[in-house]
Amino acid sequence: MTTTLLVTGAGGVGKTTVAAAIAIRAARNGLRTLVVTVDPARRLATALGVTNLGNEPQPHHDEPNLWAAMLDASASWRAVAVRHADPEVATRLADNEFFQAASEHFPASQAYAAADQAATFVQAKAWDLVVVDTPPSGGGIDFFTAPAQMADLVGGRLLRWITGGPLPGRRLLFNAAGRPVLRMAGTILGSDLLERVAEFLLDLRSTYDGVSQRGREIERVLRSASILVVTTSDPAPVWEAIKFYRELPKLATTPAAVVFNRILPESWATAEVPKGAKPVLANNLMRWSTETIRQRDTRDEFSARYGARVATIPWSASPPNDLDGLAGILDDSTGMPWASFGIE
Amino acid sequence: MLDKRLLIVSGKGGVGKSAVTAGLALLAQRRGQRVLAMEMGSPGGLSAHFGTGALEFQPREVRPGLHAMQMVRSDALLEYLSIQLNIKGVYGFGPFARAFDALATTAPGIREIITIGKAIWEVKEDRWDIVIADAPPTGQIGSYVRAPLTIAELVPGGKVRAQADMMRDMLADEETTEMVLVTIPEELPTTETLETLEWLESEKVVATPKLIANRILEELRDRTTPPGPLGEAAQLHRALWSEQQEWLERLPPEYKLPYLFGVFTPGEVAARMCDEFEAMT
Repeated sequence: MTTTLLVTGAGGVGKTTVAAAIAIRAARNGLRTLVVTVDPARRLATALGVTNLGNEPQPHHDEPNLWAAMLDASASWRAVAVRHADPEVATRLADNEFFQAASEHFPASQAYAAADQAATFVQAKAWDLVVVDTPPSGGGIDFFTAPAQMADLVGGRLLRWITGGPLPGRRLLFNAAGRPVLRMAGTILGSDLLERVAEFLLDLRSTYDGVSQRGREIERVLRSASILVVTTSDPAPVWEAIKFYRELPKLATTPAAVVFNRILPESWATAEVPKGAKPVLANNLMRWSTETIRQRDTRDEFSARYGARVATIPWSASPPNDLDGLAGILDDSTGMPWASFGIE
Repeated sequence: MLDKRLLIVSGKGGVGKSAVTAGLALLAQRRGQRVLAMEMGSPGGLSAHFGTGALEFQPREVRPGLHAMQMVRSDALLEYLSIQLNIKGVYGFGPFARAFDALATTAPGIREIITIGKAIWEVKEDRWDIVIADAPPTGQIGSYVRAPLTIAELVPGGKVRAQADMMRDMLADEETTEMVLVTIPEELPTTETLETLEWLESEKVVATPKLIANRILEELRDRTTPPGPLGEAAQLHRALWSEQQEWLERLPPEYKLPYLFGVFTPGEVAARMCDEFEAMT
């Protein structure tokens, strides 16, 4: 059976690094492990042995149980069209100028592409553990709502808004163009714009059956996945983590833990400046000590308020740039719920 | 920065863009300017820094002389249609707004022009000395500042086209508009900022942005490492500092904001940023 671990959280908190470190540890524990990342830092990608974007998992050159894949969300959106539409329609969609705009504007689209790809890897049953570094949009919540939103989009919600009524056939587009609302839009934006948008949405709708069926499969995978929420102690990412716990997306299981990254040593919170210490060093210790206290209070409040299991990873001064360095960031971690992703 | 009429603040997610926006707005207010702070993206970030609860489309005075608002696309669109295009009595708000939303989701440039257009309109209205926008992150900012051009390509003529041309001129005019990119000296924010700068350079839709580097550590002027926390803290500080220097060299900023030690609430962060800006300008 494949265990799925979804690593979520705001951007910039070290989510990708944490996901990679867990994957390496799992691989070294004998689990066949795939780590799936979106847009990693260059040195991290190099450490993982993935240097080109592509949705194909690549085995790591010197870590026997480790595979890595980097997702290309724009390619994945195109793949939706190719997979679920007639060849003729698929070509028309791919060439359509609105297709790109829709895939950029629709917040769920990158999340959908990533969830779709991750589910494919899980369903392949080729790995014991699939670790997914989720796209940061919506603090990770988008990842869980994406399949339903996507089905809704291609299912014709926008089309209904334009035509103002039941789902139209192609000829009803002319009625749409006759609606006062849209006549006005036409005057403002040029008369054929609406028609072109509606035609695009009609084409997109033809993928509905495929997309909604696939959406249900993706949702099954998400529902059975373990979740880690990663954050630093800064107000903005903590706020995103709180949002995740508060709103707990319908398809998400309760997170196995909230992981606070970049944590300072507990002993600094109560450290006293020794007699005769140089003022510049004493001053420095005091600054970092207040920071340690702030971090601890943030964690305490989080766990008290949301009943979350709290894990911590120490702040390492220089980001790891090889496998051992990556695995090493977890050496002094506390509270990691290893059992929930099958690691002893 | 504060002698411009429109400041567009962007940056990669997580670098403190909203805090910088709030800090600049507070400083402008402190100097007696009439200020509008505008949250362009999803609600939350900017309002937290003013500590006055959720913002709405209608600007609200959050400090004497400082108003803040939340961008709401459907409201901005109705305002645009009724005031700018002089189209009155829009046919039933709900269906209209939704139909337009459908358009805005699929047609390039439309949602962006409504958002950026609102900021420009507020500048033209002369109710404010300065409009400071907490703009979408660097990943999306390109399509916003380029929106007038995108619309001009889509709409051949008429009033909308004329409006788009006016907006393009205002964004490009460096006396009026300034863009501010916030970054922190780490790999991903630096890379993304460099990419954004390169793109802006090639498109020439706004003048070269001002760079603000956030969370900068001071150099620790001591090389010794005594035992215990005293030495540990010194070691960590020095290592983080030299890591930061590497990225600061690749992307030298115009302004540096210090790492704020032990600061708890967004409100405190904004107030500290304001003090820092005041000290450096």
